Amino acid sequence: MAGLHHPFQCLRYVNRQSAGQSDILVATAGRNLYSYDASSGQRLDVWPQPVDANVEDKSSDAAPASESQGPPEKRRKLSSTSEEQKDAKSESKPKDSNKETSNSWTNIPLLTVAHGKYVVIMTSEDKCVRVLGLDNEGKLQQLSARTMPKKLSALTLTPDEDNILTGDKFGDVYTFPLIPSGEYVQVQAPVKAYEPAATNLTVHTKRNLESLEQQMRQAALSKTNPAERVALNFEHRLIIGHVSLLTELISVSRPADSTVGKRSYILTADRDEHIRVSRGVPQAHVIEQFCFGHTSFVSSLCVPSFEPKVLISGGGDNYLLVWDWLQNQILQKVQLPGSEGETTVRGIWDVSLAPTTGNADSVKAIFVALEGSSQLLYYTLESDNTITRQDTLQLSGNVLELTGIDSRGSILVAVDTLRQSDSTSAWKSSSQPPLETFQLSSGKWAPVEDSMVIKINSEGTSSLPTTLEEKQRKELNDSLYNLSNLRKRAGYDE
Amino acid sequence: MATQNPPAKRVKREEYRRSVQAQQESNDGSLIKMPQKKFFRQRAHANPFSDHRLEYPTSPAHMDWSSHYPAFVDPDTSKTNLSGGRKLTKEVEVVDIGCGFGGLMVGLAPLLPDTLMVGMEIRTSVLEYLSSRIHALRNQQQRLKKAANQSSTEPQDASTKAESTESSPAPVPANDDEIGTEKLFPGNFENITAIRSNTMKFLPNFFGHHQLSKIFICFPDPHFKARKHKARIISESLNSEYAFVLRPGGLLYTITDVEEYHHWVLRHFLHGEQPEGGAAPAASSKDLFERVSEEELALDPCVRVMKFETEESKKVTRNKGNKYVAVFRRKADPEWPA
Repeated sequence: MAGLHHPFQCLRYVNRQSAGQSDILVATAGRNLYSYDASSGQRLDVWPQPVDANVEDKSSDAAPASESQGPPEKRRKLSSTSEEQKDAKSESKPKDSNKETSNSWTNIPLLTVAHGKYVVIMTSEDKCVRVLGLDNEGKLQQLSARTMPKKLSALTLTPDEDNILTGDKFGDVYTFPLIPSGEYVQVQAPVKAYEPAATNLTVHTKRNLESLEQQMRQAALSKTNPAERVALNFEHRLIIGHVSLLTELISVSRPADSTVGKRSYILTADRDEHIRVSRGVPQAHVIEQFCFGHTSFVSSLCVPSFEPKVLISGGGDNYLLVWDWLQNQILQKVQLPGSEGETTVRGIWDVSLAPTTGNADSVKAIFVALEGSSQLLYYTLESDNTITRQDTLQLSGNVLELTGIDSRGSILVAVDTLRQSDSTSAWKSSSQPPLETFQLSSGKWAPVEDSMVIKINSEGTSSLPTTLEEKQRKELNDSLYNLSNLRKRAGYDE
Repeated sequence: MATQNPPAKRVKREEYRRSVQAQQESNDGSLIKMPQKKFFRQRAHANPFSDHRLEYPTSPAHMDWSSHYPAFVDPDTSKTNLSGGRKLTKEVEVVDIGCGFGGLMVGLAPLLPDTLMVGMEIRTSVLEYLSSRIHALRNQQQRLKKAANQSSTEPQDASTKAESTESSPAPVPANDDEIGTEKLFPGNFENITAIRSNTMKFLPNFFGHHQLSKIFICFPDPHFKARKHKARIISESLNSEYAFVLRPGGLLYTITDVEEYHHWVLRHFLHGEQPEGGAAPAASSKDLFERVSEEELALDPCVRVMKFETEESKKVTRNKGNKYVAVFRRKADPEWPA
């Protein structure tokens, strides 16, 4: 594998046993979305198609070919034509499909999977939420593209997986159906003449009065030529708003207990240290609790599937907090390696493993990765709902993403192929394999050989041009390592 | 005006404010003069999205109110909050969001002498004025109290009734800087304070679930441009936060001189007219509030203070502008869906 390859940014193991289908691994790298057969590692599809969309049979062959040759500029051009055709069918506004003739995105930072057959992604620069169908053969087909007003920082689903939840950089949380119902009638902006809200009763200074006059003149002009109103032109609802940059959004279902029935909640975190607990849709406007305890931004929230009463949160503080989140009660403060002001939690993942021959007990694992660190911290959740550090896993590059494979009792870790270990800016001279896998045996996670991973690693992902300018490198660094920007800088004041 | 000689003006300001500071810090019991507003004026806008350099508690349980309400500190020294500060005998219940120079706080203080109230303001100079003003008010009330005790043993009950604020506004109608200097007021302004904060971000850091009984939002920055409407202090998503800190039955008061903003307020608190036979309105924070009737408002003395005693309302009166009042009552949370 020569040259530099994009690392995997998102990774999701799709268990489809219940539907009687083989499991699939979906992942994003660079501007592409890939699907792999989870047993063989065979690449099933890549989206957007690197070659003409009409020649469908070729897609699986064409993808590996594209890594050895083909300047990326050309590939982009080709793929964007297929993009355009697809988009013509979708609900995207005509203005946006025009935009997509140029490079409309360079990476796909958010991904989730619904019902095992829909992949939901957000393409970065065009702020577009795209739903793709994932068929039996693992082929990807875009079903809809909805452009959001602001770039998203979080994307998830309601517990029934029928609705998408998005959190954006403006602090707003929207919900909209996974599959547009078709009943939605585009809202025609009421043709209402612009009228200044100010009057000479509310503004008094000379300058304000002058600008009011100006506005009046403008209003008179615009009456003949009403401006087009920009709106989210699809069925959607704004359900939660923070006056802060929203960093994380998860949706949690608490099973019924003796006193209350099954209830769903939405947990949101922001740059201003808040973790907010709201009720689930349709009552997301009712705030149930705030979890206070962080003194820097919060970037990761994890409610383990095996213990939904517990929340583990982390961010710009050099500690994790373990919560009884419905009571705003801190159960444990867990010190992280690294000093105050430098540690940033990149991700917290829960992995549960059923008892196997190698492990007598079921495992409730919590993995924590720090931004720009090649170590993976392994904790277990104890019966008293605290976590205990068990081990540290060393990887060949910075940890980017993790997914558990329950059926094999292993975890799959995406590592940074481009940057040197423990650096977010120094580049390697040649790419490393993008995936590593570990299996638990007698209490320790040890690297294992997995034919799927070997196959995926041998093919690599889309390659980068061999010559990259400093500016492009910086952009690539920023797209992968942007959490430190959330830190507040001292200085500005009135 | 300001362009002619700004440095001189600034120097004068700073000198004045330093002297006010010094006077307050000298705790020798001498008379503290009322600060003068003209030295504390500040541009009437602040960007609610920027970080500023704000101090705020990690959580309501960390908030140390003891320095703000010395008269209400719990005598039991063993009672402390999470940051080690002394606890109060009661909780803060009323908030004026964007209190400005504090006209509402000062007007309400004698009306609700046993209720702890706080004004929150994002602009530093304005806040500095209000803090100095409250400090001076308390000082002068204490002096008056002392003098009254010396002159006669008879209690000055006549002057400590609620109506006393109405009885003689004549001598000081034009200058708020002098209010509270000549007679005793119920509560002696010990129940009000001011804090710098950006409530759009940090209101839940100060107040717990259902802690408040009243929230006032008086003459908020209208943010005329549509592009700036996200910065308005009233919106459906912010109303969820107000509902969180406001107890069921609690009231949220609004007043504005901008008619368009008034309609905006109504639109964000109340469901619009539904088309006949149409579907029920989508669930939103509007379900958590109901509008208080005009008849009820006519009996509420807080509305009068809001309409006539705040600095902004006096300015609107001077300019013969309109005032639009809307008050909403917090309803109970809806039942969980089955």
